[in-house]
Amino acid sequence: MSLFTLNEVKKTFNNGQIKEEILKGVNLFLREGEVTALVGSSGSGKSTLLTIAAGLQSASDGEVLFEGKNLSQMDEESIRKIRATDFGFIFQFAHLVPFLTVEEQLLLMLDVSESKLKKHEQMSVVERILQLVGMEHRKNAYPSSLSGGEKQRVAIARAIIHKPKVLFADEPTASLDSKRSKDVMALIREITKNLKITTLFVTHDEEMLSYADHIIKMSDGLIVQHS
Amino acid sequence: MNLAFKEIKKNKVRFLILGSIIFLVSLLTFIISGLANGLSQDNASLIKDLPEGQLYMNEDAEEAYTLSKINSSLQEELLTDYKDATALSIQMGILNDHKGKQQSVVFVTSTESKNFKDVKDGEIILDQSMKEKGIEIGDTLTNPQFSGEFTVKGFVDQTKFSHAAVAFINIENYKEIYRVNEMQLVFVPKDNSPQEISGLRSFSKQEFLKTIPSYNAEQMTLNMIVWFLVVTSGMLFAIFFYMMNVQKIGLFGILKAIGLKTSRLFTMMWTQMIFITTTSLALSIAISQGFNLITPEGMPFNLSIETTLSLSVVFLVIAFIGTTIASLQIRKVEPLQAIQQGEI
Ligand SMILES: Nc1ncnc2c1ncn2[C@@H]1O[C@H](COP(=O)(O)OP(=O)(O)OP(=O)(O)O)[C@@H](O)[C@H]1O
Ligand SMILES: [Mg+2]
Repeated sequence: MSLFTLNEVKKTFNNGQIKEEILKGVNLFLREGEVTALVGSSGSGKSTLLTIAAGLQSASDGEVLFEGKNLSQMDEESIRKIRATDFGFIFQFAHLVPFLTVEEQLLLMLDVSESKLKKHEQMSVVERILQLVGMEHRKNAYPSSLSGGEKQRVAIARAIIHKPKVLFADEPTASLDSKRSKDVMALIREITKNLKITTLFVTHDEEMLSYADHIIKMSDGLIVQHS
Repeated sequence: MNLAFKEIKKNKVRFLILGSIIFLVSLLTFIISGLANGLSQDNASLIKDLPEGQLYMNEDAEEAYTLSKINSSLQEELLTDYKDATALSIQMGILNDHKGKQQSVVFVTSTESKNFKDVKDGEIILDQSMKEKGIEIGDTLTNPQFSGEFTVKGFVDQTKFSHAAVAFINIENYKEIYRVNEMQLVFVPKDNSPQEISGLRSFSKQEFLKTIPSYNAEQMTLNMIVWFLVVTSGMLFAIFFYMMNVQKIGLFGILKAIGLKTSRLFTMMWTQMIFITTTSLALSIAISQGFNLITPEGMPFNLSIETTLSLSVVFLVIAFIGTTIASLQIRKVEPLQAIQQGEI
């Protein structure tokens, strides 16, 4: 059984009177512990697919199976629980909480995922993850004083601190320059490999494909190529 | 982790501004309400401070107590039939002190009663505001219609009528000054006041106050100001809380996306609202009560802690409503919306 599978997933948006089918029956499965890249031209439906997979919006039709359970048939609270404990997200922008320090962002994530760790254990997990992303020296800084790359590294730390089973990333390096993009992507790969987190990331950048084990290409709402 | 206080700590200035607005507006409301009540005391404390009960005047008097004359035998009957009933009269008049200076007062006289001062022939008891006019215990005062002299026996606290100081005099002296035999009113305390007495019309204290033309007009204006202030400031609070929370929709979307429960977001908003409102209100309660203590004698200001607290409750309820309206908006926020909005 695959950890994560999409079966004939469709998504239709109502743009005024016109119904637009953005996903036209997507089939996909993620191999456990591996990194999959999703590419395709702008508007092909990559973000839509990723957010449906991550339980951030629902599919119009088809199945989204995580550990054999169908997300499209779950109520909001069950999906929230899965998002909080089993999924991690990284977006184009870091979306950190402006009034929390770097350390507090991570503690909040542990809190949300209902971590059973004791306070001092949580602190040492935070310490370790911050070392991993090279941000331990800024643990008391607020997001407004961090650079774009630093923010993104904190966002990565937040996305993996609760040891999710699946990590979703939508153009995680789009707001960074080429040097930083490589660093961040290498970091994502290194961490997810270490922690055996299954990863799906969307990218526009050819260079990023070298960090993936598999590449899926989308075009006009369908998957056209698997490798 | 307490998100509510973490945010307040980080955005001190924003919350300080909100707090000061609540503080200033509520203080203004408290002060105006204190003045309204002060003026009302100044205008009618003689009646307002009576125990609950009914006042009776002649039906023919057409609600003007000065025109009312209660038949002496009916009065006798009432005073014997009803426990603690009192007949009384109230009439504007003047007093001259030994320097010949004229003071306007309200003469009040009554049959023996624990609710009014009992004064012996030739004696007078005055409201304490007369002290400021230089009158002391033992002074003698005269009245042009009165053959004798009044000796000041003592002073009473805050007993005024129609913005003038009350002067309690003996019933016989009163009859001489105004050349009347009948009393204007009968007062019967609540527990045993009858509904109907033929020939007499019954008024509750509040109804009686409304028959005093100046009192009615004054209180209506002041109460309108107070309620207008309460409503506008309440709306102001509600709008502020609403705007503050709606501005944070992007943030709430992110928090939802990472898996925070909506109920936790609600708790966060309510905690902030209750914290800011109660601290600001506590401060303005303290200051308005302080003001209550230091107001100069002549200034009609009277703010009871009960009034302050009930106004505060109204403010809290309104702030709560504002926050809740905003939070309903937030319940509808899709995490996705926030993510697509870009950087927050
Ligand atoms: N909420 C929505 N309502 C209506 N149309 C939408 C909505 N979300 C996405 N779309 C449409 O769906 C199509 C695919 O959008 P999507 O964001 O998935 O593309 P993408 O492949 O991620 O593109 P890009 O590479 O530019 O990010 C677009 O034409 C977009 O306009
Ligand atoms: Mg996209």
